[in-house]
Amino acid sequence: MARTVPLMLQIATGDPRPIVRQIVDGVRMQIATGGLRAGDQLPSVRGLAQQLSINPNTVAKAYAELTTEGWLESRQGMGLYVAAPRQRLSDTERERRLDDAVGRFVNDVIPLDFAADEVESRVSHALRRLAPRRTA
Amino acid sequence: MSDDYVIETRALTRRYGAKLALDHLDLAIPRGRIHAIVGANGAGKSTLFRILLGFLPPTSGTARILGRDSQQLRPEDRARVGFVNEEHTLPGWMRVEQVRAMQQHQYPRWNARAYDDVIGHYHVLPQQKVSQLSRGERAGLNLALALAQTPELLVLDEPTLGLDVVAKRAFLESLMYSNAAEQCTVVYCSHQMEEIERVADNLIILERGQLKNMSAPEDFTARVALWVADIPFKGPEPHTVPGLLEVQRLDGLHHYLVLDQDERFADYLRAQGARSIRSMPVSLDRAVNGFLAKNHATPAAA
Repeated sequence: MARTVPLMLQIATGDPRPIVRQIVDGVRMQIATGGLRAGDQLPSVRGLAQQLSINPNTVAKAYAELTTEGWLESRQGMGLYVAAPRQRLSDTERERRLDDAVGRFVNDVIPLDFAADEVESRVSHALRRLAPRRTA
Repeated sequence: MSDDYVIETRALTRRYGAKLALDHLDLAIPRGRIHAIVGANGAGKSTLFRILLGFLPPTSGTARILGRDSQQLRPEDRARVGFVNEEHTLPGWMRVEQVRAMQQHQYPRWNARAYDDVIGHYHVLPQQKVSQLSRGERAGLNLALALAQTPELLVLDEPTLGLDVVAKRAFLESLMYSNAAEQCTVVYCSHQMEEIERVADNLIILERGQLKNMSAPEDFTARVALWVADIPFKGPEPHTVPGLLEVQRLDGLHHYLVLDQDERFADYLRAQGARSIRSMPVSLDRAVNGFLAKNHATPAAA
């Protein structure tokens, strides 16, 4: 029987990101970096709520969002599991989101006034740091 | 009026002399979940609770609690409402066990397990006198008693005020994870945003006796943003800035905390001569405090 994998997650109050967002981002990040693997069982809603000292409804909201997005799947009466990796979005949607993300990034970075190749090398360095662990 | 609301007021008004403590307040709190009520001192929270619990008559308007007119509560209606106040007022000369027995005798739906569940978080002995308990232990006892009466509605008025971190945590955990608390609607008055962020499903903001917000805390936070602009000279008159909650001039930059403004606020700032413009989201704490500070009284000559 699959056992619950500990979810090493930290949340902060007083952050502009609401707690729901912090959990969603945190779980997605762990899936992307290999901290959580397909088939791993997540803590129960109540368990994670107690671990983080927050309202269980907040955890339920975050789990619902992750499930809708296809990161998690529920097995009848057994709890939530990390879903098998698959492309969760249509090609057009992926394109759109990438454009969005690039647009936001460029907006943030332009006023910082770094040279374009400096920015590019930092970005590719950050991407490479995540990549090997994903395939490991 | 329906039973879907645990608290429902219509044009509820309470006047103290020339001052309106509640100003035609329309408030409807749905059944279930944890609702936080926030307001500056004097926003009308205490007056609202006094009226709801039937200790004070309204000047005009109506207040219903669990579907009953708050001015005509019967003992069996009161048994359905638990109340925990900030002072955790309990008879100091009684022993913990005596207080428990007295409450159990008064409430027909007494749930001994709920009492044990909560009191187990604290080092409270049955033979101890209430006056010998610390503030945190009294808070725990008070919550245990309130939950054991199996209320449909639990009203907490600044319950963690003056508690240390350990006692506060124990109190919040009992509130969020005990089975008894799951069965009831919790209305929670607090000034501590850190706590509200962790605990509340719904954020209610009262100001000068009126309802100003009713939404999930994160939805309220999303309404507030901080814009920083480099505007030469004085910048626009504060009262002409749309949605302004707070303005500061720091190191020659204007910091505007604004409510309900979208990307067009950047166009506004540009039209005011701004050279560089940045914006960022803020925390719940900053959003609520900015909102409450906006209408805070300041001396006229300032």
